[in-house]
Amino acid sequence: MTEKNKVVNGLRFLPPSLGAWIASTIPEDEFSGDIPWTPMKKPVSESVFALMTSAGINMNADAPFDMEREKRDPMWGDPSYRRIPTTATQADIDVNHLHVNTDYIKKDINVVLPINRFQELEADGTIGSLAPTAYSYYGYQMDPGVLMNETMPKVAVDMKAEGVEAALLTPT
Amino acid sequence: MGLVARSLEAHGIATVVLSMMPEFNREIGIPRVAAIEHPFGRIVGEVDDVDGQKQVLKAALSVLETAEMPGQVEHLPFIWHEEPKATDWHPPVISPIIKLYLDEIKKAGAEARG
Repeated sequence: MTEKNKVVNGLRFLPPSLGAWIASTIPEDEFSGDIPWTPMKKPVSESVFALMTSAGINMNADAPFDMEREKRDPMWGDPSYRRIPTTATQADIDVNHLHVNTDYIKKDINVVLPINRFQELEADGTIGSLAPTAYSYYGYQMDPGVLMNETMPKVAVDMKAEGVEAALLTPT
Repeated sequence: MGLVARSLEAHGIATVVLSMMPEFNREIGIPRVAAIEHPFGRIVGEVDDVDGQKQVLKAALSVLETAEMPGQVEHLPFIWHEEPKATDWHPPVISPIIKLYLDEIKKAGAEARG
């Protein structure tokens, strides 16, 4: 279903009190600082894509994101990342997240990390290609220092090594 | 997610963030946002809804070709098929940060209700 001229209300799915609390932390004025920008060099149909989600997905063969430390220290969120091969199947992955119901992701990874849909979009020519590696981190970072200064430079190097030109980012 | 997008753009990779909370663009300044009113934990679409997920992804990808300047938010037209209370997106156990700030959250709710 679609609605013409839809304006997204980001608080719609939140309980009213939680929505009011979060809204109180967001500035009323538009952002006025600089925003980094890389123009698209080619059409989407010719570009190499990577996928990245904040859903806390890991391959079963890798360590899960650390939920236990966050339970002891609620201001801390695991700042590491995991590489997810885009050939991964539902049986290959696990997901850990203390802020959402992960049942849907455990049934269909595409609800947050659409690797199968992007394979289909590559096959039908909508995108140029899907890079062999997707990326997962944990989208609760009250202090984003480690994520930004240590994790993201590694992710950028990994993406560049696979020729990635554009990325779709999907929060939880 | 906005900070991650900013980092990738600074490293020479174009990004589009599919975002259920575009309001954060006012705080962070996100390069390209495709805003969508989908519940937490299922931003791309419903489980096993191949066609619906693909429509959302094609709409998000189009923002890469239509956005002309950083900070633009494109509101996608999709309507979720359940009322908010029926979406069952909450974790089974209240998250540590919400537990810690529960009194403040209740106070913010009371103030909003006047």
